[in-house]
Amino acid sequence: MPVITRDTVPAIAISGLSHAFRGHQALSNVSFAVLPQTLHAFVGPNGAGKTTTMRMICTLLQPNAGEVEIFGSNVRQNAAAVRRRIGYMPDHFSMYRQMTVAEYLDFFGTAYGLTQQQRDQVIGDVLTLTDMDGRRNDLISGLSRGMQQRVSLARVLVHDPELLLLDEPASGLDPRARIELMEILRELRRIGKTVFISSHILSELADLCDAVTIIDRGQVKYSGPMDLLLETTNQQPLWNLRLTTIVPGVIERLRTLTCVAEITEPEFSNGRDFIIRAAAGLSGNDLLREMLPLDLPLASFGQQRRHLNDAFMDLTTRGVPA
Amino acid sequence: MISGTAALFAWTLKSDNRSVWPHAVRGAFAFMMLFTLSLAWTDAFGTTRIGLRFFETICVLNIVIITVAGISYFSTAVTEEKDAGSLALLQLAGMSSLAITLGKSTSRLVSALMLLAVQVPFSFLAVTLGGVLWQQLLAAWVALAAWLILVANAALLCSARCSTSGRAAAIAGSMAILFFLLPSVTRTTIASVPPGILPAPVMTVLSNLPPALELLSPWRRVDRILNNWQNTRFLGSQFTLSLLLAAACFAVSTLRLTAWARHANDADSQSGSRTRRLPVERCWKLPLTWRDFHFYTGGWPFFLLKFTAGLAIYSAFVVIQQVGTGQWSIVLTGDFGWTAMLVFSAVLTVEVLLYSSGSLFSELRQSTQSTIAMTPCSSVSILLQKAAGCLIAVLPAVFWSMFTLTVSRNSVLTLVDTNTIVVWALMLVFSSHVAALLSMFTRWAALPLTVLISFFAFFVIAGPVLTIPDVVDRIAITHNYQPSRLFAWAITAFWTWLFALLPLQLWIRDQWDKLSRR
Repeated sequence: MPVITRDTVPAIAISGLSHAFRGHQALSNVSFAVLPQTLHAFVGPNGAGKTTTMRMICTLLQPNAGEVEIFGSNVRQNAAAVRRRIGYMPDHFSMYRQMTVAEYLDFFGTAYGLTQQQRDQVIGDVLTLTDMDGRRNDLISGLSRGMQQRVSLARVLVHDPELLLLDEPASGLDPRARIELMEILRELRRIGKTVFISSHILSELADLCDAVTIIDRGQVKYSGPMDLLLETTNQQPLWNLRLTTIVPGVIERLRTLTCVAEITEPEFSNGRDFIIRAAAGLSGNDLLREMLPLDLPLASFGQQRRHLNDAFMDLTTRGVPA
Repeated sequence: MISGTAALFAWTLKSDNRSVWPHAVRGAFAFMMLFTLSLAWTDAFGTTRIGLRFFETICVLNIVIITVAGISYFSTAVTEEKDAGSLALLQLAGMSSLAITLGKSTSRLVSALMLLAVQVPFSFLAVTLGGVLWQQLLAAWVALAAWLILVANAALLCSARCSTSGRAAAIAGSMAILFFLLPSVTRTTIASVPPGILPAPVMTVLSNLPPALELLSPWRRVDRILNNWQNTRFLGSQFTLSLLLAAACFAVSTLRLTAWARHANDADSQSGSRTRRLPVERCWKLPLTWRDFHFYTGGWPFFLLKFTAGLAIYSAFVVIQQVGTGQWSIVLTGDFGWTAMLVFSAVLTVEVLLYSSGSLFSELRQSTQSTIAMTPCSSVSILLQKAAGCLIAVLPAVFWSMFTLTVSRNSVLTLVDTNTIVVWALMLVFSSHVAALLSMFTRWAALPLTVLISFFAFFVIAGPVLTIPDVVDRIAITHNYQPSRLFAWAITAFWTWLFALLPLQLWIRDQWDKLSRR
């Protein structure tokens, strides 16, 4: 995570964004900010307004009300300048399938005004980054979906934008392609890009992203650090204990400890995993201190975090928006 | 099979009914009748043949529109499923080839027949106006319906055979050009070749080709019905042969559909991972010009092919002229010059209309419009770059038209005068704008609609275009502006741009912007 000061200009600053399509309120007073050089997840059910927000950020759609600023530049007033600083990957495949990978990137490099020398350099770089070096002369129509997605990502990077807007980049990808995509996104954050990513694959977002905005029926339900969302703040924290081997009568022995308020085995337990709730006011350190004399074969011990799925389900409403 | 076909057929008709466009087109056809009526009234006022003149115009228009519809609307019946990758899904759903061809093509044929049907009651006005009998009207409508059925099924054959809509439309367009130009070209050739030069079997084939093609020709049939009714049967051989040929095309399309679809899939999957055999040069400074020229119009290989074909056609005319007249000259005289001009201008017209109706549509089909919109290029720049890419591709046809006009000017001017050529050029530019605009609203009906709209527009544009130069010419001569004629044409071109093209250009830009935001 970069160092954030009071003077840090957000990569994206959205305030009071509202938009309606033929009487249907798609967005209602949406406000949030994305910090520079972070991976920021944007999640919500289908029809929540994610793509509409994305399209407003990338200057394709004018909001009915509210403002969007990219690195301090208003998208209404400085659309052309903003476009040079962002790379947008839409949620559908939009590619010239009859071109080769290199031709496709050369085309967009030229469209962004790069010289031939710059294009040669940058095409090589983005193909290396996306691990598509060996396929530069292949026709796009012959590539798998995962590879086409990489080419799309390479295309977004051709003009070296500071902010990447990725709308459902992992949809339709197999597990390997998804994992590889996430690796590329981590690498992008490492080289200083800000990535604003919309996805439905919550488990991967939780591991990957620094911050998250949850939107439902056109309204922001949460926007802030991922860790804060995933902490179980409503009651005493839960702790996960894993043993290396099965120890007979371990539950009974743990229950005798004064700092253990409750101990359960998770669903589909293998006899080595336990969930412990500490007594009121006690921390993990207190628990660990009392457990050590029992001489249990400890494999791991850590605070249980809420899964992003749970947070998502808690914050969003059941059913398809009308 | 029946239920699948019925479902596909009913779904197509329902979607046709729900859409505003088919109703608008039917309304436009009804309006066309009234317009044609007023035209005939003006043209033949005081004679007893107003009705005949009125109905003749309707028939000519319908033949042109049906033929153009064959190139665009009918030739995409199956390929639009191939383009969307849904043909295999239909087959997986248990639909046989017959169900697919019936369901996809018959619904379009019925829609088109309804367009003919909507005109029938209006056309009976011709009987009241005089010069034509109701039996002649019905016979002509039957001939037009037979032509429509033939065109629809021939286009279906192209659609079943080709892997993409673009290829199907190109083949259907080439077939239409060949069908209409081959008789006159063959006749000119035979007339010019002295006896004994060509072997007897070749001469027999060549001499029988024009009458054979004319048996199917709707022009010939309608002309006979309207001008020689006493010696004409109600259902002529054109009707029978058209239906037989249509049935044959339908049968071949149905029987070969699965095999051709499989072949197209195999070819696609094999070519997919392979490197392109002919590498394309590096992107130009105008990327969309580069993209449209190389990836939409076929690039340099196709450009050279067209240029060479033009050279071959012109050389063929020169050789035939030499054999026929003994005169070895690059200048074409007599019928040769204007026939060559007709061939090149027909090719140019078809090329311009195909490119203008497909260039923007190809972006919409690949959903690339918003990706392009995100680049720093403005929408005006995007549109102009795309137009430039297509213009480079039509240069061979432009070159050979201009070459023929310049070199064989006297022969060409025996058929048309300079004014007609300028009006044709302006109408072509106007039609290309209309086609580009319509391609953003409708999928494959842009070309037939362009012809329909251009017909009405011709009367609005041609009058001033033909009048303004004379007026300006006289004013220029009075004020000693030289060269006065050039000045007159410059004023006319400006007038046409300001009042006819500029509104269309603004509309195209706005619609493109709207689609880019989707």
